[in-house]
Amino acid sequence: MNIYVINGPNINLLGTREPEIYGHETLDSISKDCIKKGLKDGHDVKFMQSNYEGEIVEWIQNAIKEKIDAIVINAAAYTHTSIAIHDALKSFSGFKIELHISNPHLRESFRHVSYISPVVDAVVAGLGANGYSHVIELLADLQKSYK
Amino acid sequence: MNNRLLIINGPGLSDLSHFNEFGHDDLTLEKVQKKCSETCESLGLSLEFCQSDDEAELTNYLTRACKEFDALIINPVSYANASSLDFDIYTSNIETVTLQNKPVIEVHIANIFQKRVDVTEPIKVSEGNVGFVSGFGIHSYELAIRAVHRKLRKN
Repeated sequence: MNIYVINGPNINLLGTREPEIYGHETLDSISKDCIKKGLKDGHDVKFMQSNYEGEIVEWIQNAIKEKIDAIVINAAAYTHTSIAIHDALKSFSGFKIELHISNPHLRESFRHVSYISPVVDAVVAGLGANGYSHVIELLADLQKSYK
Repeated sequence: MNNRLLIINGPGLSDLSHFNEFGHDDLTLEKVQKKCSETCESLGLSLEFCQSDDEAELTNYLTRACKEFDALIINPVSYANASSLDFDIYTSNIETVTLQNKPVIEVHIANIFQKRVDVTEPIKVSEGNVGFVSGFGIHSYELAIRAVHRKLRKN
Protein backbone atom coordinates (compact mmCIF):
# COMPACT_ATOMS: atom_id res chain seq x y z
CA MET A 1 0.00 0.00 0.00
CA ASN A 2 1.30 3.45 -0.93
CA ILE A 3 0.31 6.23 1.44
CA TYR A 4 0.93 9.97 1.12
CA VAL A 5 0.89 11.99 4.32
CA ILE A 6 0.51 15.61 3.21
CA ASN A 7 1.05 18.44 5.68
CA GLY A 8 0.17 22.09 5.17
CA PRO A 9 1.46 25.46 6.35
CA ASN A 10 3.36 25.89 9.63
CA ILE A 11 3.40 22.15 10.35
CA ASN A 12 7.19 22.37 9.81
CA LEU A 13 7.26 24.39 13.04
CA LEU A 14 5.89 21.51 15.13
CA GLY A 15 7.66 21.18 18.44
CA THR A 16 8.31 24.90 18.74
CA ARG A 17 5.02 26.50 17.62
CA GLU A 18 2.50 26.82 20.46
CA PRO A 19 3.54 23.52 22.10
CA GLU A 20 0.63 23.82 24.57
CA ILE A 21 -1.66 23.16 21.59
CA TYR A 22 0.47 21.10 19.24
CA GLY A 23 2.83 19.28 21.61
CA HIS A 24 6.60 18.97 21.67
CA GLU A 25 7.09 16.38 18.99
CA THR A 26 8.63 17.51 15.70
CA LEU A 27 7.35 16.60 12.25
CA ASP A 28 10.60 14.76 11.66
CA SER A 29 10.10 12.43 14.63
CA ILE A 30 6.42 11.86 13.72
CA SER A 31 7.33 11.00 10.13
CA LYS A 32 10.10 8.61 11.17
CA ASP A 33 7.69 6.83 13.50
CA CYS A 34 5.00 6.49 10.79
CA ILE A 35 7.42 5.36 8.08
CA LYS A 36 8.78 2.71 10.44
CA LYS A 37 5.26 1.53 11.37
CA GLY A 38 4.31 1.38 7.68
CA LEU A 39 7.46 -0.50 6.65
CA LYS A 40 6.79 -3.16 9.28
CA ASP A 41 3.66 -4.15 7.36
CA GLY A 42 5.22 -3.56 3.94
CA HIS A 43 3.65 -0.17 3.26
CA ASP A 44 5.35 2.77 1.64
CA VAL A 45 4.57 5.93 3.62
CA LYS A 46 5.72 9.23 2.13
CA PHE A 47 5.67 12.30 4.37
CA MET A 48 5.57 15.77 2.83
CA GLN A 49 5.06 19.30 4.07
CA SER A 50 4.59 22.59 2.26
CA ASN A 51 3.64 26.12 3.14
CA TYR A 52 2.40 26.62 -0.43
CA GLU A 53 -1.16 25.78 -1.41
CA GLY A 54 -0.25 25.12 -5.06
CA GLU A 55 2.41 22.60 -4.11
CA ILE A 56 -0.13 20.67 -2.02
CA VAL A 57 -2.54 20.65 -4.98
CA GLU A 58 0.27 19.28 -7.18
CA TRP A 59 1.04 16.50 -4.69
CA ILE A 60 -2.61 15.44 -4.71
CA GLN A 61 -2.62 15.48 -8.53
CA ASN A 62 0.54 13.41 -8.41
CA ALA A 63 -1.18 10.93 -6.09
CA ILE A 64 -3.96 10.58 -8.68
CA LYS A 65 -1.42 10.01 -11.48
CA GLU A 66 0.64 7.53 -9.45
CA LYS A 67 -2.51 5.68 -8.26
CA ILE A 68 -1.56 6.08 -4.61
CA ASP A 69 -3.83 4.04 -2.30
CA ALA A 70 -4.46 6.55 0.47
CA ILE A 71 -3.90 10.20 1.36
CA VAL A 72 -3.72 11.42 4.94
CA ILE A 73 -3.93 15.20 4.82
CA ASN A 74 -3.35 17.78 7.51
CA ALA A 75 -3.97 20.91 5.46
CA ALA A 76 -3.61 23.05 8.60
CA ALA A 77 -4.92 26.58 8.01
CA TYR A 78 -5.70 25.82 4.34
CA THR A 79 -8.40 23.49 5.67
CA HIS A 80 -10.55 26.52 6.30
CA THR A 81 -9.81 28.43 3.09
CA SER A 82 -8.79 26.22 0.18
CA ILE A 83 -11.33 25.34 -2.48
CA ALA A 84 -8.37 24.30 -4.66
CA ILE A 85 -7.41 21.52 -2.23
CA HIS A 86 -11.09 20.54 -1.91
CA ASP A 87 -11.32 20.18 -5.71
CA ALA A 88 -8.07 18.25 -6.03
CA LEU A 89 -9.11 15.78 -3.30
CA LYS A 90 -12.45 15.25 -5.01
CA SER A 91 -10.60 13.87 -8.04
CA PHE A 92 -8.58 11.42 -5.96
CA SER A 93 -10.43 8.12 -5.80
CA GLY A 94 -8.30 6.37 -3.15
CA PHE A 95 -8.97 6.45 0.59
CA LYS A 96 -8.81 9.99 2.03
CA ILE A 97 -8.38 10.95 5.65
CA GLU A 98 -8.36 14.46 7.06
CA LEU A 99 -6.18 14.78 10.15
CA HIS A 100 -5.61 17.51 12.71
CA ILE A 101 -3.37 17.42 15.75
CA SER A 102 -5.73 19.54 17.84
CA ASN A 103 -9.53 19.54 17.52
CA PRO A 104 -10.40 22.60 15.37
CA HIS A 105 -14.01 22.53 16.59
CA LEU A 106 -12.86 23.40 20.10
CA ARG A 107 -10.90 26.43 18.91
CA GLU A 108 -11.66 29.79 17.25
CA SER A 109 -14.87 29.86 15.20
CA PHE A 110 -12.89 30.53 11.99
CA ARG A 111 -11.57 26.98 12.34
CA HIS A 112 -15.02 25.42 12.56
CA VAL A 113 -15.54 25.25 8.81
CA SER A 114 -13.51 22.74 6.80
CA TYR A 115 -13.58 22.65 3.02
CA ILE A 116 -11.87 19.28 3.25
CA SER A 117 -14.19 17.30 5.57
CA PRO A 118 -17.03 16.87 3.02
CA VAL A 119 -14.73 15.32 0.40
CA VAL A 120 -12.83 12.82 2.57
CA ASP A 121 -13.82 9.39 3.86
CA ALA A 122 -12.83 9.99 7.45
CA VAL A 123 -11.76 12.71 9.87
CA VAL A 124 -9.41 12.38 12.85
CA ALA A 125 -8.70 15.31 15.16
CA GLY A 126 -7.52 16.15 18.64
CA LEU A 127 -5.49 12.97 19.22
CA GLY A 128 -2.21 14.92 19.27
CA ALA A 129 0.80 13.90 17.22
CA ASN A 130 -0.13 10.26 17.89
CA GLY A 131 -3.05 10.70 15.50
CA TYR A 132 -0.68 10.12 12.58
CA SER A 133 0.61 6.76 13.75
CA HIS A 134 -2.87 5.61 14.83
CA VAL A 135 -4.14 6.30 11.31
CA ILE A 136 -1.22 4.54 9.61
CA GLU A 137 -1.68 1.57 11.92
CA LEU A 138 -5.40 1.38 11.13
CA LEU A 139 -4.83 1.66 7.37
CA ALA A 140 -2.35 -1.22 7.58
CA ASP A 141 -4.87 -3.31 9.57
CA LEU A 142 -7.72 -2.56 7.17
CA GLN A 143 -5.55 -3.57 4.24
CA LYS A 144 -4.83 -6.88 5.96
CA SER A 145 -8.50 -7.60 6.65
CA TYR A 146 -9.51 -6.86 3.04
CA LYS A 147 -6.92 -9.27 1.65
CA MET B 1 -5.75 -2.89 38.03
CA ASN B 2 -6.91 -2.42 34.46
CA ASN B 3 -7.92 1.03 33.31
CA ARG B 4 -11.68 1.32 32.93
CA LEU B 5 -13.20 2.61 29.71
CA LEU B 6 -16.83 3.59 29.24
CA ILE B 7 -18.27 3.65 25.71
CA ILE B 8 -21.61 5.45 25.40
CA ASN B 9 -23.83 5.18 22.33
CA GLY B 10 -26.50 7.82 22.05
CA PRO B 11 -30.10 7.87 20.85
CA GLY B 12 -31.05 5.71 17.90
CA LEU B 13 -27.86 3.67 17.78
CA SER B 14 -29.57 0.41 18.67
CA ASP B 15 -30.39 0.15 14.95
CA LEU B 16 -27.45 0.68 12.58
CA SER B 17 -29.11 -0.49 9.37
CA HIS B 18 -29.27 3.05 7.91
CA PHE B 19 -25.46 3.09 7.74
CA ASN B 20 -25.64 0.64 4.82
CA GLU B 21 -26.02 3.52 2.39
CA PHE B 22 -22.68 4.96 3.54
CA GLY B 23 -20.87 1.75 2.70
CA HIS B 24 -20.82 0.40 6.26
CA ASP B 25 -22.82 -2.72 5.47
CA ASP B 26 -24.52 -5.12 7.84
CA LEU B 27 -23.45 -3.23 10.91
CA THR B 28 -25.18 -4.01 14.19
CA LEU B 29 -24.51 -2.62 17.65
CA GLU B 30 -23.69 -6.17 18.77
CA LYS B 31 -20.91 -6.34 16.18
CA VAL B 32 -19.59 -2.96 17.34
CA GLN B 33 -19.64 -4.14 20.95
CA LYS B 34 -17.85 -7.37 20.06
CA LYS B 35 -15.12 -5.48 18.18
CA CYS B 36 -14.71 -3.04 21.08
CA SER B 37 -14.49 -5.90 23.61
CA GLU B 38 -11.84 -7.67 21.56
CA THR B 39 -9.77 -4.50 21.13
CA CYS B 40 -10.02 -3.64 24.83
CA GLU B 41 -9.12 -7.15 25.86
CA SER B 42 -5.99 -7.16 23.69
CA LEU B 43 -4.92 -3.85 25.25
CA GLY B 44 -5.78 -4.76 28.84
CA LEU B 45 -8.61 -2.26 29.26
CA SER B 46 -11.80 -3.17 31.08
CA LEU B 47 -14.84 -2.03 29.12
CA GLU B 48 -18.41 -1.08 29.81
CA PHE B 49 -20.39 -0.59 26.59
CA CYS B 50 -23.83 0.98 26.67
CA GLN B 51 -26.53 2.52 24.53
CA SER B 52 -29.52 4.59 25.48
CA ASP B 53 -32.24 6.69 23.89
CA ASP B 54 -33.11 8.24 27.19
CA GLU B 55 -31.68 11.56 28.27
CA ALA B 56 -31.77 10.85 31.99
CA GLU B 57 -30.03 7.55 31.50
CA LEU B 58 -27.32 9.18 29.35
CA THR B 59 -26.79 11.76 32.07
CA ASN B 60 -26.42 8.93 34.57
CA TYR B 61 -23.79 7.26 32.44
CA LEU B 62 -21.88 10.52 32.08
CA THR B 63 -21.97 11.04 35.82
CA ARG B 64 -20.61 7.54 36.27
CA ALA B 65 -17.87 8.35 33.73
CA CYS B 66 -16.69 11.06 36.13
CA LYS B 67 -16.60 8.75 39.12
CA GLU B 68 -15.97 5.20 38.02
CA PHE B 69 -14.05 5.34 34.75
CA ASP B 70 -10.64 6.46 33.48
CA ALA B 71 -11.69 7.30 29.93
CA LEU B 72 -14.79 7.96 27.84
CA ILE B 73 -15.65 7.29 24.21
CA ILE B 74 -18.98 8.67 23.10
CA ASN B 75 -21.00 8.38 19.92
CA PRO B 76 -23.48 11.17 20.55
CA VAL B 77 -25.26 10.91 17.18
CA SER B 78 -27.47 13.91 16.63
CA TYR B 79 -27.63 15.19 20.15
CA ALA B 80 -27.31 18.81 19.05
CA ASN B 81 -30.32 18.50 16.77
CA ALA B 82 -32.53 16.30 18.90
CA SER B 83 -34.97 18.53 20.69
CA SER B 84 -35.61 15.86 23.31
CA LEU B 85 -32.07 16.10 24.60
CA ASP B 86 -30.85 18.92 26.73
CA PHE B 87 -27.81 20.13 24.84
CA ASP B 88 -26.35 22.12 27.75
CA ILE B 89 -26.60 19.31 30.28
CA TYR B 90 -24.98 16.93 27.83
CA THR B 91 -22.10 19.27 27.04
CA SER B 92 -21.44 20.25 30.63
CA ASN B 93 -21.40 16.58 31.67
CA ILE B 94 -18.82 15.80 29.03
CA GLU B 95 -16.84 18.87 30.09
CA THR B 96 -16.76 17.58 33.66
CA VAL B 97 -15.01 14.44 32.41
CA THR B 98 -12.48 16.37 30.28
CA LEU B 99 -11.69 18.63 33.24
CA GLN B 100 -10.63 15.56 35.22
CA ASN B 101 -7.94 15.18 32.57
CA LYS B 102 -9.44 11.87 31.45
CA PRO B 103 -9.26 11.05 27.75
CA VAL B 104 -12.56 11.73 25.98
CA ILE B 105 -13.09 10.88 22.31
CA GLU B 106 -16.15 11.51 20.17
CA VAL B 107 -16.72 8.83 17.51
CA HIS B 108 -19.04 8.51 14.55
CA ILE B 109 -19.54 5.56 12.21
CA ALA B 110 -20.00 7.68 9.06
CA ASN B 111 -18.19 10.92 8.19
CA ILE B 112 -20.67 13.41 9.62
CA PHE B 113 -19.45 16.19 7.32
CA GLN B 114 -20.54 14.51 4.13
CA LYS B 115 -23.64 16.09 2.66
CA ARG B 116 -25.91 13.08 2.86
CA VAL B 117 -25.23 12.47 6.51
CA ASP B 118 -27.88 14.25 8.50
CA VAL B 119 -26.15 14.21 11.81
CA THR B 120 -24.78 17.09 13.74
CA GLU B 121 -21.97 19.31 14.75
CA PRO B 122 -19.07 17.99 16.77
CA ILE B 123 -19.22 18.30 20.55
CA LYS B 124 -17.95 21.66 21.73
CA VAL B 125 -16.59 21.99 25.25
CA SER B 126 -15.08 25.26 26.41
CA GLU B 127 -12.37 23.63 28.50
CA GLY B 128 -10.44 20.41 28.19
CA ASN B 129 -9.87 18.31 25.10
CA VAL B 130 -12.16 16.02 23.16
CA GLY B 131 -10.67 13.86 20.42
CA PHE B 132 -12.68 13.26 17.27
CA VAL B 133 -12.87 10.21 14.97
CA SER B 134 -15.46 9.99 12.21
CA GLY B 135 -16.01 7.90 9.09
CA PHE B 136 -14.10 4.65 9.64
CA GLY B 137 -17.23 2.58 10.26
CA ILE B 138 -16.78 0.10 13.08
CA HIS B 139 -13.06 0.98 13.04
CA SER B 140 -13.78 4.49 14.36
CA TYR B 141 -14.25 2.82 17.74
CA GLU B 142 -11.12 0.72 17.31
CA LEU B 143 -8.96 3.76 16.54
CA ALA B 144 -10.46 5.67 19.47
CA ILE B 145 -9.79 2.77 21.88
CA ARG B 146 -6.15 2.62 20.78
CA ALA B 147 -5.80 6.39 21.19
CA VAL B 148 -7.34 6.22 24.68
CA HIS B 149 -5.00 3.39 25.61
CA ARG B 150 -1.90 5.29 24.46
CA LYS B 151 -3.02 8.42 26.29
CA LEU B 152 -3.64 6.50 29.53
CA ARG B 153 -0.22 4.92 29.36
CA LYS B 154 1.34 8.38 29.11
CA ASN B 155 -0.64 9.90 31.98
